[in-house]
Amino acid sequence: MSFDNLKMSPALEKYMTKEYRDLVERGPYGKPKKVSEMGTFKEILEEHPMCAGCAMTLFIRLTMIGLPNPEHTILVGTAGCGRLALTQTSIPFIYGNYGDTNAVASGLKRGLATRFADQPKDVVVMAGDGGLADIGFSAVMHSWFRKEKFTTIMLDNEVYGNTGGQESGMTERGAILKMAPKGKQFEKMDMIGLAKTANVAYIARVTPTNPTRVASTIRKAVLIAREIGPTFIQAYTSCNIEYAIPTPKVMDDAKEVETARYGFMEIMSDEAREYLESIEPAKKPKAKKSESEEAVTAN
Amino acid sequence: MYLVAHVDTSICAETACKLCTQYCPEANTILYDNDKKTAFIATDRCKACEICVSICDNMAKHSAIKMIMITDIENPFELSRNGFKPAEWNSMPRPAVISEKEG
Repeated sequence: MSFDNLKMSPALEKYMTKEYRDLVERGPYGKPKKVSEMGTFKEILEEHPMCAGCAMTLFIRLTMIGLPNPEHTILVGTAGCGRLALTQTSIPFIYGNYGDTNAVASGLKRGLATRFADQPKDVVVMAGDGGLADIGFSAVMHSWFRKEKFTTIMLDNEVYGNTGGQESGMTERGAILKMAPKGKQFEKMDMIGLAKTANVAYIARVTPTNPTRVASTIRKAVLIAREIGPTFIQAYTSCNIEYAIPTPKVMDDAKEVETARYGFMEIMSDEAREYLESIEPAKKPKAKKSESEEAVTAN
Repeated sequence: MYLVAHVDTSICAETACKLCTQYCPEANTILYDNDKKTAFIATDRCKACEICVSICDNMAKHSAIKMIMITDIENPFELSRNGFKPAEWNSMPRPAVISEKEG
């Protein structure tokens, strides 16, 4: 996809839907938008059938803001709640079979790199904890071992929410769910640790409690995946249905979980950090730091 | 009948926090009018999750958003009817709550 795909043929313009026209004229394509501008531009995400008050939807909405070049991005997903919203974005979405998202993305990224040698194309895998940590586990790990250059985002709702509340590998120990009446017997899988073992270039753990931070994390992960290697984001996106969280309390729950066990964490390889600093103008505090470092070395 | 969120524009216009627009899980549902300096709701998209109410009450501490019965809102803004045209928002009538009728 590129800007050309978005343009409307003048002859067909009157037949285009209102939403599409709004997106072309007042969308974020070609003019990157910030989180603070939300509500003043037409978003990539359209109306979707996700449940009211779903934190996963909020995370997906913020992800669409964080993408550095949505016009050059392809999403890969699989069965699960996330695809209900991901299919309603104006970004090409590939519905992989359950378990093969990262295998599909590997081939896709390599193909795109060959076909569009002078234009970086971003591939972003977005699937649930079941799709990535349980069923797609081997494909995820092997894509990391092979150093495939794309971003893997895990929408970790700690349950199979779409099929009625079975426990997943990412469910907390002791959590009682509809289809896990005795409570989960085993520990939550340590995907961050596994990503570290596989030497993933950028690993982050986020909750959607800070929209600006979510968007900047996504941006960093996608940029690093272009040049350096695989990136992984694990995002807590609570299921308010299966965990019976009243919708006004969804954000309170996210904050509680964030302080208790899911705090923001970011692990970046030195190579990735150097790359980010080379493409992004250094922020003021960082500039000051480097000055002081220079002063130290000069002394 | 069902409830939708409603922004009290007189309270919202005095602040510029824009927090509700960032925490709403639905896309283009809480819109922000830069001329009137206020957020407002696209009622046809609101799923009544009340996240914006708790954000406005607890995080922003403005208490400008309330849940109102859809039939009690005068001049509701509907995105599917009006489209996303910020230039026209200034001339549009403000959504308001119809004062409660007796009985």
